[in-house]
Amino acid sequence: MATVLDPAAVARDRWWARRPGARKAADQACRDAIERAGLQAADIDLLLNAGLYHDRVLSEPALAALIQEDVGINPEDPHPGAHGTFSFDVANGSCGVLSALQIADGFLRARTIDHALVVASDADPGRGLAPGFPFASRGAAVVCHWEDRDRGLLGFHWANEPPDTAQGGGLRASVAFDGRRNVLVVEQDRDFTARAAALAVEVAQAVLDEHGLRPADVDLVVANPLTAAFRSGVATGLGVAQDRFTVVGGNDQVHTAALLVALAGAQDQSRLAEARTVLLLSAGAGITCGAALVLR
Amino acid sequence: MSRTWLMMEKSPGAGSAPHVARIESVGRRLPPTRLTTEELMASTRHHTNVDLERLTGIHERRVSTGDEDSLSLAAGAAAECLARSHHGPEDLQVLVNSSITKYRGGLSQWLEPATSLAIARSIGATEAQTFDVSNACAGMLTGVFLVANRIRRGDISCGMVTSGEYISQLGQNAAKHIRNVLSPELASLTLGDAGAAVILERATAGEPGIEIAGFTTVSDHSRLCLAYPAHNDEGARMFTKSRAIHRIAIADTPVLLQEALDAADLSITDIDFVIPHQTSARAIRKGMTELGEVFGGLPRHPVVVTVDHYGNTASTTHFVALVEELEAGALEVGDRVALLALASGLEIGVVLFTVDKGLVGLYGDGA
Repeated sequence: MATVLDPAAVARDRWWARRPGARKAADQACRDAIERAGLQAADIDLLLNAGLYHDRVLSEPALAALIQEDVGINPEDPHPGAHGTFSFDVANGSCGVLSALQIADGFLRARTIDHALVVASDADPGRGLAPGFPFASRGAAVVCHWEDRDRGLLGFHWANEPPDTAQGGGLRASVAFDGRRNVLVVEQDRDFTARAAALAVEVAQAVLDEHGLRPADVDLVVANPLTAAFRSGVATGLGVAQDRFTVVGGNDQVHTAALLVALAGAQDQSRLAEARTVLLLSAGAGITCGAALVLR
Repeated sequence: MSRTWLMMEKSPGAGSAPHVARIESVGRRLPPTRLTTEELMASTRHHTNVDLERLTGIHERRVSTGDEDSLSLAAGAAAECLARSHHGPEDLQVLVNSSITKYRGGLSQWLEPATSLAIARSIGATEAQTFDVSNACAGMLTGVFLVANRIRRGDISCGMVTSGEYISQLGQNAAKHIRNVLSPELASLTLGDAGAAVILERATAGEPGIEIAGFTTVSDHSRLCLAYPAHNDEGARMFTKSRAIHRIAIADTPVLLQEALDAADLSITDIDFVIPHQTSARAIRKGMTELGEVFGGLPRHPVVVTVDHYGNTASTTHFVALVEELEAGALEVGDRVALLALASGLEIGVVLFTVDKGLVGLYGDGA
């Protein structure tokens, strides 16, 4: 019995949309993910949004609630003969999707829900809030469900960089008043990728050890950040061949949606269907890293 | 599989979730500075003719004067929670921060790294898995739902949920714009600052704890309260349709509370204390009166109100009030408490728990 991931969906900027934004990208990704899972919107019990850079840097309510309404996932007042949907945001840098998958897995394991939808999107918040916004505008989503079989999503492991090495967290983003207006500033340390890869190797090794697996047993690595430098650092440190990593070109600047973009890439390249042991690996600001396995 | 409207967990559950999560310790941090409603209304740019104290029942709130921010309030509450607890920071397997505001170093709102990581480092919880949730004023109870789920399943045995809300600056921004009682920023004037933290652990088999936790998002009403960074001012602004929120809460809460009571096989009169989200003393009392009419009865004690002296401290209100009741010795062993979440989204949630000797003992004689 295990949590199973349905096919992930990715939404890009639409050339015709004047202001696509993070919410619209999330909406589209959710609609596509629900369709790919062969479900109706009303089947979703739990909606988790792990995107960080919302339109206008909305801080309240959870963007997940707005997405739920947009997509029409049980938005109405409670009434007999149906069930509602619980929606909220998860924030954990670019590891938020993996955190959300763990939360979804927890409620699926407890048999509290049948279907969870995990979405993440980022976009320039607009209104001059983020000059030089560094991340790509992208949204991605995936539905998870429970199946009576013994292979699926399992074994979450996490690590944070020890405090003595964590000066600045590798990547920082904050909104602050510059004397005239509020401005979003994102800064990344030069050594972020190297530190993130080193910590990612630790959590990957831990999750493999727990399941009696060796790095050579991993058929496919689905990891973020999506940069070649990160892949190379993990491949070398963990001892997994670089060709086992999912590569999705032109997506280096995708942020919170990156893990799902990689997952969708692995599907599209038919690599996911062939892999029996998939390592999910996520690194982000903190520095925080998480790992999980998908056994198929 | 429950087919209730609420996404709900009952403990102890069957099969894969046999354990019960209990509230082991609670802590809070309040800034020492008091700001009365009279002082706040005297600071409005325009002559408003609004008698906010009469409208809301709020006499004063605690405010940071720059001495505290979201991180220091949450970390301070976490430290107090640990100081009362039998656990050390090394016992915390997960730490979830759930504040709306994430101000550090003044009014700088941090989007990443997660605030939970900074709190974990501040209290020495270096082994805790960390992440933040954001769910408006239902944030802390959402965090409790998540940590309790993991404890119920035996995935972890101990975790902490925190929040620090440096949110009174929304009131200062609102004071520049409000002209009359119809202003969409009126609710911002009710806000106060506070930090809160709670440790959850696995209860001894057969002992009580969190019996029911259930939540839903009635997202047809998702746009009734929106907050953004201010354009030309420090901090943020919040725009709220308070009357619509109150109307929907009155309409929807009884159905959902009934689901929670049915799941626990209880009636409203079996509840000893209700701690609702603290928006306005008047709205809370009016809401309870209407709830009483629907249910044909009321909980044993009057509804808990702290908003009159702390204001609406956003996601921290339930645990700020719980500490207040515990310190006052108002809660007795065996009392059933209903924590009711009502938040922008529109989020509605119910957490039912039984007060045990261990929790009362942290605050008094343990009788």
